Amino acid sequence: MISPIKGPIIPLLGLTDNLMQPLPLSEALFTTTQQKVLGLLYGKPDQSFYANEIARWAQVGKGSLMRELDRLQRAGVLTLNRQGNQTHYQANPECPIYGELLGIVRKTFGIGEALRAALAPLARQLVWAFVYGSIAKGSDHAGSDIDLMLIGENLSYGDVMERLLPVEQHLGRSINPTIYTPADWQARKAAGNSFVLRVSEQDKIDLIGGPPPKEPANEHNEQ
Amino acid sequence: MSTMSSKANLENLVRSGGLKTEPPDRKECEGLLRSAMDRLQDARNPALSFASRFDLAYNAAHALALTALRLQGYRSDKRYLVFQCLAHTLDVGKAQVRQFALCHERRNLAEYEGYMDVDEALLADLVALTDSLLAQVQQAMARTN
Repeated sequence: MISPIKGPIIPLLGLTDNLMQPLPLSEALFTTTQQKVLGLLYGKPDQSFYANEIARWAQVGKGSLMRELDRLQRAGVLTLNRQGNQTHYQANPECPIYGELLGIVRKTFGIGEALRAALAPLARQLVWAFVYGSIAKGSDHAGSDIDLMLIGENLSYGDVMERLLPVEQHLGRSINPTIYTPADWQARKAAGNSFVLRVSEQDKIDLIGGPPPKEPANEHNEQ
Repeated sequence: MSTMSSKANLENLVRSGGLKTEPPDRKECEGLLRSAMDRLQDARNPALSFASRFDLAYNAAHALALTALRLQGYRSDKRYLVFQCLAHTLDVGKAQVRQFALCHERRNLAEYEGYMDVDEALLADLVALTDSLLAQVQQAMARTN
């Protein structure tokens, strides 16, 4: 005969095994759909977007997206205006927490936009710029550094640091850049360098460009 | 620079336990400076491995940053903080302080996690930055003669 277990039943709610797992700020505060919508609209607050555009960018189902847009608009987080047969959504500067939301987006899922803007003047020297590490994996916490990989020609740490300093202050996070030439990057990959292999397999937030070609395409002598 | 706000910043770090006050010691500063100059010179020796050259340049920079701190009458055994204080002890810009901090993080990776990336661009910048730090520390030493 099975005897009943005595004493109060204390539900664990899965808390114990998660205690040591850091949770990304954005994950704790917003659903994935909300992150996508706010990331785009509060990442570019001076621009309006129509629903299909947001759906394409966010890669979320149209149904849940429309519900979210409706909720955010009714709460005054977003404004809605019709242009022809298109419905445009935009961040609402009249929202009482507009400034705070801008800050949250910038500091959490809006990091990519701030970096892209700071690196734009170096676009011609850059072959590939991306964020890797905890932020790209979505396992960041408030104190996480931004790990930044810059692959390009004629880049110096001094120049890069000067450009990144305002972004560090703006985002309230340290940026940890690594600079390689495309040849350095390829040579390290070919040699099985553990850091480069690890980084190239990890999740990334692409900022500018893409992977350098495997071999130098023919022998150009453009100097 | 030793402006009022720099002094206040350093005093705040004493209160928060990062820095200790200790009267400047001429002999100690001369010893640190000598060690920094030797290491900085050796950091340029192409016969040495990258890891050794980086180590030498990094430690030269640390010795110079510590000299600047000692000249102001402070001390810290926290290497990261010694570099951070350059913004208050000498006329070193924030971007340069961040570069020393970046080198400090790379050094820690090598020291504690066994990973040393051969990054000649970073080392060249570190040597150039440390050169100008040396000139600034020498001037500061001359002022306190």
